Amino acid sequence: MMKDEDVAELLRRRQFEGAFGLLLDRYQDRVFRLAFSILKEAGRAEEVTQDVFLKLWEALPFYDGRAAPATWLYTIARNTCFSTLRRESYRMTAPMEGCVEPSQCETAPRQAEIRQLLERLPATQREVITLFYLQDQSIEDVAQMLDLPEGTVKSHLHRARRALAEMMRS
Amino acid sequence: MDCEDAKGKLLESYDSALSGDTKRQLETHLTACSNCARFAAALNKIDTQLKGAIVAPRLSRAFRAGLRARIDRQRRPVWAHWLPDAAYLAGSGAAIICCALLLPFPVLSVLWAGVLTATTGYSFQTLLLSSVEDL
Repeated sequence: MMKDEDVAELLRRRQFEGAFGLLLDRYQDRVFRLAFSILKEAGRAEEVTQDVFLKLWEALPFYDGRAAPATWLYTIARNTCFSTLRRESYRMTAPMEGCVEPSQCETAPRQAEIRQLLERLPATQREVITLFYLQDQSIEDVAQMLDLPEGTVKSHLHRARRALAEMMRS
Repeated sequence: MDCEDAKGKLLESYDSALSGDTKRQLETHLTACSNCARFAAALNKIDTQLKGAIVAPRLSRAFRAGLRARIDRQRRPVWAHWLPDAAYLAGSGAAIICCALLLPFPVLSVLWAGVLTATTGYSFQTLLLSSVEDL
């Protein structure tokens, strides 16, 4: 299995094609889900994921090894998503409104309830819990994506779950 | 185990497996405390609903091909960028040399006039192109 050290080694040897291929294989889905969690629309998230990897391709020759390749990639991804959001903020509505299949929206009235509850959470808790479920419930992935310690991610998750449970009971 | 401990352990159980001892203590507490039992049920319901509501979409099959095409387009301008300049330089050089050889004027004067004209033309073309790009 590919490790980040393999990518760093390829970059040190200036084998950019190889390093890019490994990063693409390992991170394309994660970057896409990160983009989706921020942009709430699958089509736009896919376009931005392409932008992110294009930027990565252009920036690979300048990689200085100070941060792990994954951390570097996620920083590019977050910055690209937020600048896209700023540029197109008028297009954004409530989170998770962009269901991929319209039928999914119609057949899931319960999902509307949980989305409304999610909306009432503070932004960071909402972002962490959304990413946690998008990323196959991996705290390690969420921590790496948001550049936060795992303990902080857990604490946001606990607070979010406690708040949601209280909201649901009230 | 008091209620606050029980709620903490319940929340923890969604991130990592609890030890057998803690699990037993928690179950004993939940049997005796209806408030914590309701909290546990609410957490369980939330987890199920979140799993149903937050479903990761998949990248389309065209993703890789689209990215590859964009990277290829990015590479192409490297050639296109210097080619017009090179063609301009070669064309101007050839025209100046022809003029210097054919026209009935002193060679040095024709060369100077040619270089001056070519430079002015190049500056004008660059200015024109950058205004078009700005549009």
